[in-house]
Amino acid sequence: MALIDIKNLTYTYPGASKPSVYDVTIKIEKGEFVLITGPSGCGKTTLCRCFNGLIPHFYQGEIKGEVTVAGINTFERHTYEMAKHVGLVFQNPENQLFALSVEKDVAFGLENNAVDREEMRKKVDWALNQTGIYEIRERSPHEISGGQQQRVAIASVLAMEPEIIVLDEPTSFLDPLSAQKIFDVIYRLNKEQGITVILVEHRLDLTAKYTDHLILMDQGTIRLEGDPREILNKEETRLIGVGIPKATLLYQLLKKEGFQLGGKIPLSSDELAEQLLEALEHR
Amino acid sequence: MSVFDGLKFRKVTSPVHNLDPRMKFIYVIVIFVSAILFSSIIPLMVLFVMQLPFVFVAKVQKQWVRSLRGAAFLALFIFIINIVTSYFGNNFTLLASNIEAAIALTLRFVVLIESFSVFFLTTSPDHLGLALEQSRVPYEFAFAFTTAVRFVPVLAEEAQTIMDAQKARGLELEKGNLLKRIRNYIPVLIPLIVSAIRRSLELAEAMESRAWGASKKRTNLFSLKLHKGDYALLALSIGVLVGAIYISFFVSIPTITSLF
Repeated sequence: MALIDIKNLTYTYPGASKPSVYDVTIKIEKGEFVLITGPSGCGKTTLCRCFNGLIPHFYQGEIKGEVTVAGINTFERHTYEMAKHVGLVFQNPENQLFALSVEKDVAFGLENNAVDREEMRKKVDWALNQTGIYEIRERSPHEISGGQQQRVAIASVLAMEPEIIVLDEPTSFLDPLSAQKIFDVIYRLNKEQGITVILVEHRLDLTAKYTDHLILMDQGTIRLEGDPREILNKEETRLIGVGIPKATLLYQLLKKEGFQLGGKIPLSSDELAEQLLEALEHR
Repeated sequence: MSVFDGLKFRKVTSPVHNLDPRMKFIYVIVIFVSAILFSSIIPLMVLFVMQLPFVFVAKVQKQWVRSLRGAAFLALFIFIINIVTSYFGNNFTLLASNIEAAIALTLRFVVLIESFSVFFLTTSPDHLGLALEQSRVPYEFAFAFTTAVRFVPVLAEEAQTIMDAQKARGLELEKGNLLKRIRNYIPVLIPLIVSAIRRSLELAEAMESRAWGASKKRTNLFSLKLHKGDYALLALSIGVLVGAIYISFFVSIPTITSLF
């Protein structure tokens, strides 16, 4: 059985006239790196809130369908029970840190779950090390940079050792270098710890190459889903308004001009460079 | 936003900062009670001087002087009221002893302010939150306190941004009489409140996602433990309290005017 199984999910926020997500069906397997993208207001954030039960518990409104995460029906369990399985990282790093020091913030979830102090210390230190913020553990959140704040937010859900981490546009407040660092951390957690990652992002240039499974949303529905190389090469994707990686665009342009490159459709400049070099050598 | 500078917290360590906030609070209460027991100048001066070692060991002299300067206006007010009432009460004569009593009552006020300012200047909000938690104050209150402290600099920054934005659209904040000036701040306050509410919703969402309310008895990464210094402070507090009660009831305290 899939780790996340959503069937015919339709959800309308209280007071809204039309549903924010409409008839969504997704299956996500364990260990996948999933990228969700699409224009603003297409229902990505709403979908994220469904993964750990914030919808329908925190937000009322009208919900139909079925959401099963790690074998649990999210409609029937509290969000705090889901927190052990799904870690949710939000867009604005500032509004998800509430303690006066980094390590207190990382410990917050464990404290709520009444974990023993010694065990907590171990898990907190592990999470701090995994995200590369062990050195700043005693600083207060307003003294550190936005990128560091976002890594604290990741560490604070990581400390609870969830199977799934969902990140809702974690880099939209960050500069490209800090964003790259965040993606490196996420990718490493996915590969080394086997954590299933669901990342909502617009920056496909930096993230497409990590992706196993791309979900493209538009106006509350899933338009395309599956292999990122295939989807990003489609004309339909460009028309929806997705920021297709420059490497893929260049590949398409070259192909149009009759310059055939071997191998798969490139998602990053590294991949494209390799293909170009190869093609030039064979001339 | 220099107003908010005083509320920013920094991690400082000194022997006084490291003391258990609960013990420090007991000490403050003892000083408070002792100050109220006496109304003559000599014991109050002793109480005033007793705080000074804490101020210097903690190296908070600057902030301490600033907090006393803040209290100066009220202290002066108390002094003048005392002088005036004793002047009218004594058939329009003013004795040296009246002046001394006025000074003593002013000094009492200063001692009260001083002890509380030493407490707050040398206790990190983090420690205070922890002390609240361990004193069986419901966690919600301790959490509300530390979160409020956490967001003071954030909101101060936001207020500044909104002020700049409104000024850029032609809002004049420093214009007109007092009433007008207060009214000028409405276009700053409304966006500030709206964004604070929105922020609180996001915060609640993040808390829910991090297992808020998962167990009735939550644990804490840190715990306050009493060390030697804390016991010494407790002993000192008890000593001061017993001494103060004994002296105020059984020893007649000379006034300075009676010495000459």
